[in-house]
Amino acid sequence: MKILVPVKRVVDFNVKVRVKADGTGVDIDNVKMSMNPFDEIAVEEAIRLKEAGSADEVIVVSVGVQQCQETLRTALAMGADRAILVKTDALVEPLAVAKILAKIAEEEGTNLVILGKQSIDDDCNQTGQMLAALIGRPQGTFASEVVVEDDKVTVIREVDGGLETISMSLPAIVTADLRLNEPRYASLPNIMKAKRKPLSEKMAEDYGVDLKPRHKIIAISEPVTREAGIKVADVTELVAKLKSVGAI
Amino acid sequence: MDFSLSDLQQMMQDSVSKFIQKDYDFETRQSLVNSDLGYSEDNWKLFSDLGWLGLPINAEYGGIGGNLIDTIFLQEELGKGLVVEPIFSTLMLGANLVQKHGSSEQKTTMLEDVISGKLKLALAHAEGPAAFDITQISTTARKEGDKYILNGHKSVVIGGASADKILICARTSGKVGDENGISIFIINPDQQGTSTRAYTTNDGMRAADIKFNQVILDATSLLGEADTAFNAVDQVLHEAIVALSAEAIGIMGVLIDKTAEYLRTRQQFGNAIGRFQVLQHRMADMFMETEQAKSMLYFAAIEMAENKTNAKRAAKMLKVKIGSATRFVGQQAVQLHGGMGVSDELDIGHYFKRLTSINTLLGSKDYHLNELIKIPAIRQ
Repeated sequence: MKILVPVKRVVDFNVKVRVKADGTGVDIDNVKMSMNPFDEIAVEEAIRLKEAGSADEVIVVSVGVQQCQETLRTALAMGADRAILVKTDALVEPLAVAKILAKIAEEEGTNLVILGKQSIDDDCNQTGQMLAALIGRPQGTFASEVVVEDDKVTVIREVDGGLETISMSLPAIVTADLRLNEPRYASLPNIMKAKRKPLSEKMAEDYGVDLKPRHKIIAISEPVTREAGIKVADVTELVAKLKSVGAI
Repeated sequence: MDFSLSDLQQMMQDSVSKFIQKDYDFETRQSLVNSDLGYSEDNWKLFSDLGWLGLPINAEYGGIGGNLIDTIFLQEELGKGLVVEPIFSTLMLGANLVQKHGSSEQKTTMLEDVISGKLKLALAHAEGPAAFDITQISTTARKEGDKYILNGHKSVVIGGASADKILICARTSGKVGDENGISIFIINPDQQGTSTRAYTTNDGMRAADIKFNQVILDATSLLGEADTAFNAVDQVLHEAIVALSAEAIGIMGVLIDKTAEYLRTRQQFGNAIGRFQVLQHRMADMFMETEQAKSMLYFAAIEMAENKTNAKRAAKMLKVKIGSATRFVGQQAVQLHGGMGVSDELDIGHYFKRLTSINTLLGSKDYHLNELIKIPAIRQ
């Protein structure tokens, strides 16, 4: 069984991002970039499935600029078998990525695609769902547990108010939630091995899909700074205060 | 010159940095400092699993085969987390000396055990009046038949409390000041005639003072050949200066980031105090000192890794620069934070303490400055 794991290069979660002076986007010059944390969980899950004997090969793919190959090398160092870099300098939206992934999944004949549930930069939470729709296969989103048995995959989903267990027939799409696993650190021997693992490069245009953005970003701004609060003596004063500002 | 990191260096830095962020926050570090052992055996096993313990060890002994330049990136990241596990004493001092001076059998067995996390090492070289120059040591190992009788005293043996084996520098022939006649002995900490006083150092690390009273050693305790260890030890100590300085660079980077963040947050006279020019000047000076020290680190690391004619001179120059830069950056960070900069609850003071210890380890700034005056640079 082949598992495909798409990974995205995003601003490191520790970096405090700042909006560009002209408000056209977030300033990413000289900013540390890393693998999207949810994608890291997806890579870890795929590797664990392979280690448990449920999968034969883990393929990682990234769509974006040339530097995305660093992100792919990190996934290879964690234990993925090979990588595909789909190069484009253009801004790609989830739909465009899903279309490219659908082509790759078909080409590679993958039985399972595990994605992060969302990326921490755009917070779209769309790619996995769109991919499932495009290839017409079942989806198990927000997974906190994944079990593969024969031609079925059981996913425990984190839903509002509890957990939902679903069973899907393969091929299927799974998106990883935060509690699915704790990703491993890349060990030095594996980092060395990763340099020798195959990484193929393709151009986004090679897939013949329409990558045109469907959205136009009008403005990006910093969140409103939280103002200092006040202390109230008791519940009566609290209620009076809430009433005075029209909150209740 | 191209100073961009190799893939290995970059990914190793990411991996170590992720470990510090996720599993080694300040509270975790403090609980380790206050534990009986002073570090975590679980972490030690993890370091072995991640291959960090094999980084500076040659591939023929199962290591990664990284050079001194690779190790400075590991050390820099470890510095950022004030890591207390005995990596410096085991790898940069102990394993490095075994690799440079051990017999091929000793290298195979000992280095393999270091990589697998089974063997922690410490190097006992310093004595009161001989903190760095091992020709001045007074510990002796007198040969009697096929045995050696060890007598003397070693102070501030870093990692000496947790080491499974300790490498002792002792004089087997010649007189004080001679380079010839220095030998290394491998002893168990509980060897008869050895008394160890372990303690926590000012920076939360562990060290030990060790006394030897008529300790009887087999010839098999000798590391490599007798009388010929000076060059290897001297080289190891100079390489260790580079590794230790890298740790200091990591610490200074953290102090700058944390202080800058504090200046942006702390309000006084209706403004964030970072808006006051006089404090901005201080931050700029801290940054310049750190950058100069970093340039000196890269210079010394390249010189040492390539074994250039003036390599040891460069290492001494680095120690001098680190001495002044760390004192300046540490003091400014504490001052800009105000009183809480020295409180036990805030990490700033702990970073400063580690920097202060780094300055006294492997010869002080004044010692190396004095040495530099005595040794002229050789034109290449």
